[in-house]
Amino acid sequence: MKLVLGLIIGMVFGAILQLGGGSSYKKIMGSLLLKDMHIIKLILMAIAVGTLGIYALDLVDMANLSIKPTYVVGIIIAGVIFGVGFAVAGYCPGTCVVASAEGKTDAMVTLLGGLAGALLYAIVYPALSGLIGIANYGKVTVASALNVDGLWIAVPFSAFLFFLMFRVLKDRYE
Amino acid sequence: MQDQPVLSWKVAGLLLGLLLIAATALVKPLGVSTQYVVTDAIVLHSAAPNFAESNEYLSKYGDKQDWGIGYGWMLVLGMFIGGGLSALITRRFRQRENPSIPSMWQSEFGDSSPRRMTHAFIGGALLLFGARLAGGCTSGHVISGISQLTVGSIIFGFSVFATGIIVAHMLYRRRLQS
Repeated sequence: MKLVLGLIIGMVFGAILQLGGGSSYKKIMGSLLLKDMHIIKLILMAIAVGTLGIYALDLVDMANLSIKPTYVVGIIIAGVIFGVGFAVAGYCPGTCVVASAEGKTDAMVTLLGGLAGALLYAIVYPALSGLIGIANYGKVTVASALNVDGLWIAVPFSAFLFFLMFRVLKDRYE
Repeated sequence: MQDQPVLSWKVAGLLLGLLLIAATALVKPLGVSTQYVVTDAIVLHSAAPNFAESNEYLSKYGDKQDWGIGYGWMLVLGMFIGGGLSALITRRFRQRENPSIPSMWQSEFGDSSPRRMTHAFIGGALLLFGARLAGGCTSGHVISGISQLTVGSIIFGFSVFATGIIVAHMLYRRRLQS
């Protein structure tokens, strides 16, 4: 049953990304070049809606949260490596799956590169695992750090994201 | 060429947010990058079992209940099917002159398919190396993690976009200067 649910949620996820331009090299690079804010605003909208819904669910104990640990140094380095890959490939690990399904062969190669990169990480993992121990604060959220209910942070945070989306971020076409 | 996406960022972002809420209520938040390791583990546990068992990271997935074709793997398969179907239905399947080269990339780097493939492969390898080190990618960290107000995910998001913006400007410096 969970397998079917996974397939259905994945199909909706893939369709939204495809219909929303998430699997488009041009749209992704447009956002990274700060010319076309479509993808950045799409992500901010998803977060703004998601954070409100998740913490509303959490209030009635219905959210299956999955908080990842915060190890500051490892995560910053990981973000730099990921960011270089993001700009060079023009896809990310999820959108290259969708772009592959659209018949874009470069995205299929990004997918293969991803399998190789994940394997490389598995091989060097014993040498890098120390990095995860540096400045590791565990499963901390902004709300748990301040010791308040999530919604107290979620509402102003979401409002701030709406402000960014509608008032700050503007397209600058060439 | 149909250049603009079918959905506006408002509608697509709203739908993605609602899907994230539904997934969090039903199972757990969205995530993709773990499945690359799971796929590696599936292949290597059958092709090179000794290596897979002896590797600390890959064997970790051998013990887990959702190792192999589990919920998360089906989700990524679903993304492929759902994305492919919506591309076919909206007549955007393979909407490119050259299936291997985005036209924007071509205008900057030329029409060498091997060169584009090299970028695509190295980029993909860096993406997943970084995602595994961080413990998530654009979906698991940036969208799901920041929506849960996870401190590390917010740091990851800033690190990714700051780097991505700088590297994109370096790659397209000629276009930006002209």
